[in-house]
Amino acid sequence: MLVSGIVSRPKYEPFALDPSGRSHLIVADHPAPPGDFGPTPASNAPIEIWCVCTNPRTTAEASQNGRAVSRSFRSTAHLLDQLDKRLARELVGLRIYAVGIESFVWDVARLARKFGMEKGEYRLTHKGSERRRVYCIHCRAYTEDVTTNIVSCSGCGASLLVRDHYSRRLAAFMGVQVDAEVPGDVPAIEEAFP
Amino acid sequence: MTLAFKPAETFRKDFTYRNSEAGILRFPFPFAEDTYMYSVNIEPHLPGGPSPAYDHAFDVDEHYVAECKERAIVLAEDPNRCKVLPHMTEAQWDTLELIMESFAKDYPEHFSLQKNGTRWSWENRPLGLKDSFTFGDLSSLPYEPFEYITRQAQGDFTLQDQRDNNLFVDGGMVTTQADWSLEFDIGMTFHEWHGPVPLAHQLGVFDRALKFLLRLQYGQPVRRLNWTMTINPRLDTSPENYPVWGPDRNTVTPENVAQKVHLRVELQTLFRLPRSNAILFGIRCYLASVAELARVEKWRKRLHRVLRDLPPELEDYKGLTRYRKLVVDYLAPFDDGAPLSRGPQPDQTIL
Amino acid sequence: MSGPKLNLRVRSIEPLSPLLKRFELEMADGGEVPPFGPGAHLRFNLQGDHQRWKNAYSLVTPPTERRRYAVIVRRVEHSRGGSAFMHETVKPGQILEASVPANLFPVSQIARKHLLISGGIGITPFLSYLAAFKSKAAGYELHHFCRAKEAEIFGHLLRDHESSRIHIHAGTEFNLSSVLSSQPLGTHLYTCGPEGLMDLVLDTARTHGWPASKLHSESFGSAHMGGAPFIAILKRSGAEIAVREDQTLLEAIEEAGFEPTNLCRGGACGECLTRVLEGEPEHRDHYLDEGERASNCSIMICVSRAKTNRIVLDL
Ligand code: FES
Repeated sequence: MLVSGIVSRPKYEPFALDPSGRSHLIVADHPAPPGDFGPTPASNAPIEIWCVCTNPRTTAEASQNGRAVSRSFRSTAHLLDQLDKRLARELVGLRIYAVGIESFVWDVARLARKFGMEKGEYRLTHKGSERRRVYCIHCRAYTEDVTTNIVSCSGCGASLLVRDHYSRRLAAFMGVQVDAEVPGDVPAIEEAFP
Repeated sequence: MTLAFKPAETFRKDFTYRNSEAGILRFPFPFAEDTYMYSVNIEPHLPGGPSPAYDHAFDVDEHYVAECKERAIVLAEDPNRCKVLPHMTEAQWDTLELIMESFAKDYPEHFSLQKNGTRWSWENRPLGLKDSFTFGDLSSLPYEPFEYITRQAQGDFTLQDQRDNNLFVDGGMVTTQADWSLEFDIGMTFHEWHGPVPLAHQLGVFDRALKFLLRLQYGQPVRRLNWTMTINPRLDTSPENYPVWGPDRNTVTPENVAQKVHLRVELQTLFRLPRSNAILFGIRCYLASVAELARVEKWRKRLHRVLRDLPPELEDYKGLTRYRKLVVDYLAPFDDGAPLSRGPQPDQTIL
Repeated sequence: MSGPKLNLRVRSIEPLSPLLKRFELEMADGGEVPPFGPGAHLRFNLQGDHQRWKNAYSLVTPPTERRRYAVIVRRVEHSRGGSAFMHETVKPGQILEASVPANLFPVSQIARKHLLISGGIGITPFLSYLAAFKSKAAGYELHHFCRAKEAEIFGHLLRDHESSRIHIHAGTEFNLSSVLSSQPLGTHLYTCGPEGLMDLVLDTARTHGWPASKLHSESFGSAHMGGAPFIAILKRSGAEIAVREDQTLLEAIEEAGFEPTNLCRGGACGECLTRVLEGEPEHRDHYLDEGERASNCSIMICVSRAKTNRIVLDL
C-alpha cells in the first residue's frame, strides 16, 4: 500500500502555445495568466485569455489586450460554467491551455473531454499550491486542499494516507485508511504538499 | 470429468472454501522456475498447457456457483463495482456473445444458447436461470448486457477501448480483485492503470505489452499469469474494503500459517472483441492454501524457493511483508534443495 | 500470426460495372458468419493454378447481418494478380478460404461526429460504417470522389443512406479547406482511397489544426505479416530454409521440423530472440530497442524477416 514512485502521478507541461492550433483559449484560475506565448503561433490564429479575478464587480466582458482578447470571471465556477457553453459551439482546431492548481486544471480537462477533445488538444500547466484533492476510497468523500501525507477524511473521519495514485476522472488522489491493518497505528503526520 | 459444484462454500466470515484433490492438481501454479521476476509472459490462449484450467476460453470449475453468489453479495453492498462508460455499449454485447457462446460450446451440460436471428434464449442450469431477449436491445435484459453475463462468470472483467494508440479501461466488473479499484481507475490509460506496479515500468514491460495488445486480433486471444498472496480464501480484497481485510494480515501464526495463507493466482486472458474493436480482459482468480499446495511435492519446494528469494519491492507491493517469513519457515523443512523439473506442472497425478 | 480460417461459399456474383464486382459469401457449413465491426476486412487465401495471393477486401455488409458477408472487388487493370483471379476465375458455388475478420480501420467510439472522405473503391469500408451509423446518435457526413462516369454506380451503392449527409463529387468544384475548418469539436476524420487523395486530406486537416488522435486512414500494409521470400540458414544444423512470402520466418523454421523457443508469436515477449551471423534483418518487433536494431546482431524470428535475400542464424 505504501508505495511511492507511482507512474500515474500526472506530469505537467510548461505553458507554451501549440503552433499547430487554429485558435487558442487560455484559462487560468488566477488573475495574471502567462503573457509570454512562446513561439509565435500561426499568424492569424485568434488568442483568448480567460482568468479568475475574485471581485464581486467583475463581469465577463471582453477587452482587447495586445494580440489577445481577455475576459475575467468572478470565480472558478463562473469560468467553468461559461467554458461549458463555449465548447458546445467550438470547432476542431481549438487548443485549450489550463493554468492553475491541480483540481482546476483537471476540471478543465474533464470539460474538454466531454466535448470530445483528446490529448494534444488540451495542455495542462500546474501553477500555484501543491495542495491535493483526496478521494476516500472507502466512503467516497472528497477532502479538499490537503497539504499533509495523512489527512482525516471529511466524510468518515478515517486517517487517510494520500497515495500518489491519481484519477484524472475524479481529479483526485486516492486516500486509503492508513491504520487498516493495525487500528490506531498512525505514522507521524508531515507537511508534504505545500 | 463431470463437475460437482460446491454451492455452500463461502469467501467471507467462516471461509468454508476448500479445493478438492482434483481441484488442487488442476491449480494453475504460476512458477515455472525457482525464482520470479516480471516479464511479458504473454502466450496464445489455446487449449492445453500444464493445467486443465487452460482448456477453455473461460474456465468453469467446482467453485462456479459459490463464486457467482459471492459476486452478488458484493454487488448488493456496492453497486459501483460494476461500471461501464456509455461509449462501450457495443463492447457489452460483444462480451455477452463471447461468454455465452463459449460456455454453451464448452459446457453443453450446464449452459445452452438458442439463437433465432436476434431473438436469443439463454439457459444457465447451475444458477437456475432461463432468459429470452433480443440481441442489441438493452431493454430486453434485467441488467445491462455486460453486467448480466459477468454476474454468471467467475473472475473479474474489464473492457478496454482502443484509441490514440492506447488502451483505456472504460468498463469493468470487479469484485474479486487484488487491491485495485475500478471506481477510481475507470477511464485510465494502460500505463496509468498499472501505475502502482513497481519495477515493471523500468523494465519496459508495459510498453512492450501495450504495443503487442494494440495489435491483438479477433479470434486469437492471449493469456498470462499473475500472482499474489491473500490471508483466508477471500475474493474481495478491494481497496474499498481494506479496513475489513487488512487486519487479517496480523492473524498469521506459525500454527495457522499453512491454512490461512493462500496463493492467489490470476489467469489473465485478453480477447479482441469483433464489433467494438475493444479488448475484453478477464482476470480469473484461483485460490489455494499453502497447506493444499504443499501436498504436491514439487510445488512445496518451488514455492519455498520463490518466496525465500523474492525481491523486496515485490514483497512490499504484493503486501507480503507481515507474513512472508512465516510461510518460508513453514516450507523450509520440506525443501531438500534437489533440482526440480522446469515448468509449473505438478509432476504427479494423485495426491 | 495466422489465426482461425473460414471456409466461405460464393453465393452470388453481381457485376456493378466493367471493373467492379460484388461477391456475396456464406459459411460453407451453413452456420452464421462471425461478427465484425464497421471497417473490418477479410483476407482471402486465393489459390490459382500456379500461384497464390493473399488479398484483403473490406466487408460491405451491415455489421448486424449474420447470414452472409459481401465484398466489392475492383479489377486492377493490366494485372494478373488476385483481383483478376476474383473477377475471372471465381464462380458461384466455389469455396474460398479467408481469415476471420480483422479491423485496422475501426470507428471511434467517442467521436461526436464522423467525417468520411473517400475516393473510388475507397468507399468500401464506409459502406459498413454507414450501416452502423444508422443506429447511432453521433452525426456523420460523407464526401466521395469519383470519375464522372462512375458517379451513378456509387450513387446506387449509397442509395439507402440519408441523401442530405452524402455528397458525391464527380469532377465538380470542392473546397476541402472549408469542410475541414468548420467541423464541430469532437469530430473524427476518416479517409480511404488513392494514396494522393489520402495525403491531401490528411495534410489539409493538419494545417487546420486537427490532432493526430482524430485522423484515421485505411492502409492494409501494416496488417501484412508476409513479405518478399528469402532464404534462412540455420548455422548449427546447416539447414537451408526457404521462407515463403505468406509465412513468417518462425513458421518456416517450424515447417522444416525445428522447434525454436517462442511464446507470444507477436514480437513482444523476447523469447524467440536469435543471433544473426550474416545478412540484415528487417525488424518488425516491439522488443528490441533502437541500438539493438541498428546493430543487426539479433532478430525476433516470430515477426521479423530479412532485407537481404539470405540470412544466417545462430540456431
Ligand atoms: S515469440 Fe515473443 S517475441 Fe517472438
